[in-house]
Amino acid sequence: MHASFPVEERDILIPGRERETNQQIPGDPSIWVFVIGEMVAFSCYFAAYMWDRGQHHGLFLQAQRDLSQNVAALNTLVLLASSLFIALSVHATRAGDFAIASRFLTLGGTCGAAFVVSKAFEWSSKLAQGLTLGSNAFFMHYYMLTGVHLFHVLLGLVFLGILWRELNKGSPPRARLMEVGATYWHMVDFLWIIIFPLLYLMR
Amino acid sequence: MTGTSTAAARRLRATKVPVLTKTRNLDQWICWWSIPIFYSVFGLVFVYLTRLMPPPSPGHTTEQIISFIQLNATHLQIGIVVLSLSLGLASLSSGIIVVQMRRMQGVSPALAYAYLAALAVAALPGCLFCGFMFALAAFRPDRDPRLIVLLYDMGLLSFVGSLGCFVVQYMVFAIAIFLDEREIFPKWLGYMSIWGVVTELLAIPIWIFRSGPYAWNGLISFYLGTIIFVVWEFCLVVCLYKAIKAQPIDESLQGDDSLAIAR
Repeated sequence: MHASFPVEERDILIPGRERETNQQIPGDPSIWVFVIGEMVAFSCYFAAYMWDRGQHHGLFLQAQRDLSQNVAALNTLVLLASSLFIALSVHATRAGDFAIASRFLTLGGTCGAAFVVSKAFEWSSKLAQGLTLGSNAFFMHYYMLTGVHLFHVLLGLVFLGILWRELNKGSPPRARLMEVGATYWHMVDFLWIIIFPLLYLMR
Repeated sequence: MTGTSTAAARRLRATKVPVLTKTRNLDQWICWWSIPIFYSVFGLVFVYLTRLMPPPSPGHTTEQIISFIQLNATHLQIGIVVLSLSLGLASLSSGIIVVQMRRMQGVSPALAYAYLAALAVAALPGCLFCGFMFALAAFRPDRDPRLIVLLYDMGLLSFVGSLGCFVVQYMVFAIAIFLDEREIFPKWLGYMSIWGVVTELLAIPIWIFRSGPYAWNGLISFYLGTIIFVVWEFCLVVCLYKAIKAQPIDESLQGDDSLAIAR
């Protein structure tokens, strides 16, 4: 990262796309409609989880022991690292260093893919233990929460692929598109930051 | 209500458009009005007549299911008649959405056709079968109770659990909106369609659970999904209104000369 900031002044990459002040929200306002909606929807899953947890507290504590906190903590670090790489990629894009931006994006995407692979291993080891969606209330929530989150990660990887193409197409990329993709990716990361303690840590 | 009064449309029309094309958007407006009418009927059928919304519990005992069918028999039968008469109205809304999707720039028509095909298939399990199964149960109330339970399950599982085609419908719609360079629909509608995809995925566990938030009458699988669907549909109708309003009346669709000639 040798690009120098202030970022905002160097942000005008597309002709006709004005970005006059730094008070503007990042990306397209539409993505924030989406993010807020997602937060509301996920709040419903969290509320349902907490409700069931209150009903069967003992069962949840018992079932939680079947999960590996270490793997989940590693997952969290991987996802946080990927968010950092994506943020660095956006910064590099704004600074005009598209090659570096592309490299950071690849790193971020790799971390995201690593998350997916480790979730696949986690799921298959749980399934091998005979713990399925129908085993009990805890595992129902476990598979649904991690599954819906995983779907978002996969969608995010598609998003990152589009950004990668944008960065490598030869002409200057659209900074706003980069921001939209990054906003989505950070949202996915943020959701995991809530899911992680809810499922793995809370006693 | 003809959508011809915008300044842009008037300017475009001013030159050489034959009088006949004045009615160009009238057909679209007829289709547009069919949507609120269809959903009013839809609400009447599913909420009041067939009692599918909110759905009765998957945890009901055989006796409860039989008494549910018997108590509502007349309603169920009226419901299926109204439903089978009005279900075709849904195709009008698909038609107008396809027309608007075809107006998009930089988007392959394949997405519009995929939208149409996905909805055409989805309407059967998602809309018709459920009322159909309930009415079938009401048709011979003296049927073997186990068969009544089967019909009850079939109706509700197909109503809430018919996922795949709706996923594709929401997905191609979202992709088309994101790719569109003309902004026929606002981008946020595309993001909302992604919620639609997610709500369909959330209904997967209804095939497993008979109680709790992921059962077919649960907080997540039914209520969250339904609320998002209603909000999405409302926004879609408003966006369609704006799109037709902004459409120049003599505009021909890309690669659709036959339409222009026919006019």
